[in-house]
Amino acid sequence: MNAVALVKQVPDRNSAFRPAGDWIDESSLGYGINDYDRYAVEAALALKEAGHAAETVAVTAGPADAGQVLRSCLAMGVDRGVHLITERAHLADPFFVARALAEAVSKLDAGVVIAGLLAEDSGHGQVGGLVAGLLGFSFASAATGMEFRDGRLEVHRELEGGRIAVVELRLPAVVAVQTGINTPRYASLRGIMASRRKPVERVELAAPTDGGGLRRVTLSKPERGASAEILPGSPQEAAAALVPRMRAGAGISFPGDAA
Amino acid sequence: MSRRALVLAERSESGITDASYELLEAASQLAGGPEGVSAVLPVGDASDAEGLREVLPAAELLLVEGPALAAPTADGTAAAVLHAREASGAACVLLPHDPVGWDVAPLVAARLGTAAATAVSALFWRADGLVARRSAFLGKFVQEVLAPGLPAVATVERGAFPAREPGPAVSVRILPSPVGPDDLRSRLVEVRDSGTGGVDLTAADVVVAAGRGLGGPENLEIVRELARALGGVVGASRAVTDAGWLPHELQIGSSGATVSPKLYVACAISGAIQHLVGMRGSRFVVAINKDPDAPIFGAADVGIVGDALEVIPLVTEAVRSSG
Ligand SMILES: Cc1cc2nc3c(=O)[nH]c(=O)nc-3n(C[C@H](O)[C@H](O)[C@H](O)COP(=O)(O)OP(=O)(O)OC[C@H]3O[C@@H](n4cnc5c(N)ncnc54)[C@H](O)[C@@H]3O)c2cc1C
Repeated sequence: MNAVALVKQVPDRNSAFRPAGDWIDESSLGYGINDYDRYAVEAALALKEAGHAAETVAVTAGPADAGQVLRSCLAMGVDRGVHLITERAHLADPFFVARALAEAVSKLDAGVVIAGLLAEDSGHGQVGGLVAGLLGFSFASAATGMEFRDGRLEVHRELEGGRIAVVELRLPAVVAVQTGINTPRYASLRGIMASRRKPVERVELAAPTDGGGLRRVTLSKPERGASAEILPGSPQEAAAALVPRMRAGAGISFPGDAA
Repeated sequence: MSRRALVLAERSESGITDASYELLEAASQLAGGPEGVSAVLPVGDASDAEGLREVLPAAELLLVEGPALAAPTADGTAAAVLHAREASGAACVLLPHDPVGWDVAPLVAARLGTAAATAVSALFWRADGLVARRSAFLGKFVQEVLAPGLPAVATVERGAFPAREPGPAVSVRILPSPVGPDDLRSRLVEVRDSGTGGVDLTAADVVVAAGRGLGGPENLEIVRELARALGGVVGASRAVTDAGWLPHELQIGSSGATVSPKLYVACAISGAIQHLVGMRGSRFVVAINKDPDAPIFGAADVGIVGDALEVIPLVTEAVRSSG
């Protein structure tokens, strides 16, 4: 039984994003692994280290250069990768992506499949759940803890209002993890060297046919009813202008204020 | 297909949840009136059908009943929703965008051969399907997506629609659960407090909150300095506490503390919705961020666009020298 991590390549968080048509202008962006997915990879590695998985596999759907995120997973210690090659634009439909991932997962002898709770770009937050639904696996989202107990997986789910739900899943299961569930390791130099010899299977996906789940229509900056007054001038001027405003707006005095 | 909308209603210890009443309003708008709305509630036993009917203002209330549904589970609830979807003939299924919806919506969507539109704030029909307005890029952008295939599935953000007033459903139907306890792949063991909280962020008059844009724990000292100058305490975004730069007790937001100080200073925080819900009650909000489009500016009274590492010490200095 293997532990499978589903990972996505997303634009660097600190890029300057500009809407263009129904998505962003992707012509000059850097890319990296989705933050939530680093926690998924760490969780998969931990399962193997605890003896609950024979092998760890990372699977991604994305364009040719998304192979980079699989390499980073292999460098963290994942045993092998599966790259479902498709155009970036085809990632628009989570159903298309999930179907491709489910097909790949079905061949991997997966005991536990771990996805990030959501992708930082599209934020659909459901690919793990769709894969579970398509394969008839158990599912839990928003996981902040997981542990094997008597052949089942016990998952802590983060609810609202500071509560957690403890759920028990039969295997095979898909778990969508929340950030903070663990502390993702960094790739060591040895890990990076070793990753070069690790196998990545490449599969060309057929383009999505009509129908499918969701299509992009528009992407735009949100209209903001009331937005902050931006203080003009140099940083020094803005900082100086801020202080009386804070005092008046908050209606308080600060420790250094003359009594 | 009709434009009937099906809503998943939820119960807590204090009755039907507010989120359910918001979904009922969303469904009513979408279906062109409450007569086009069905509601489903999975129940262990339906002995209180009349009581439930009194408080769920839909054309029809579908109680899916069986021992498997006595405690909520992802697959049990999904099975109940699918069963009610079929019974009602609804063209779309609305679920809350919360931990219940995240569990259930994808399982429902997968069975219907589609994906769910998630984090939705508005919905309307077009000739070619259901269009959903949703948040993308952690709140930086608003996206519209089309679900061309019916039935469609959506998870709706809290607060996007006003809550309907409780009122009676026109009719109530009890449907036997399509799943028995042995069919379920998941089991709810317990719900409990996570045991976080404790640090008194909530009592402070001034909160200076640190975000991931500060770059690393080595840069937190300037935030502490500013908090000291303002007579306040340091808080943090989740990105900062997850990275271990600050303890989890200092996290502000939907999965952390809710604060309503007189002054809130957000330092290099993008302003994701989950953060905003934790600080919206603040009297006066200042945002310092290098990105003029950061959503935090939409929630702030005053902002400085610039490098926080440069601006924060200048603000500290200005506070100290203004006294
Ligand atoms: C179920 C769930 C629950 C969550 N609960 C919470 C919660 O309780 N609290 C919470 O905070 N988050 C929560 N989140 C996470 C949330 O979605 C965001 O990911 C998080 O708030 C981002 O933190 P951040 O703003 O510090 O980081 P980022 O989003 O990475 O933002 C960093 C910001 O810093 C700016 N920046 C970068 N460098 C500089 C610089 N030198 N000077 C000035 N600005 C700079 C950038 O422009 C950016 O706006 C939750 C998410 C989910 C899915």
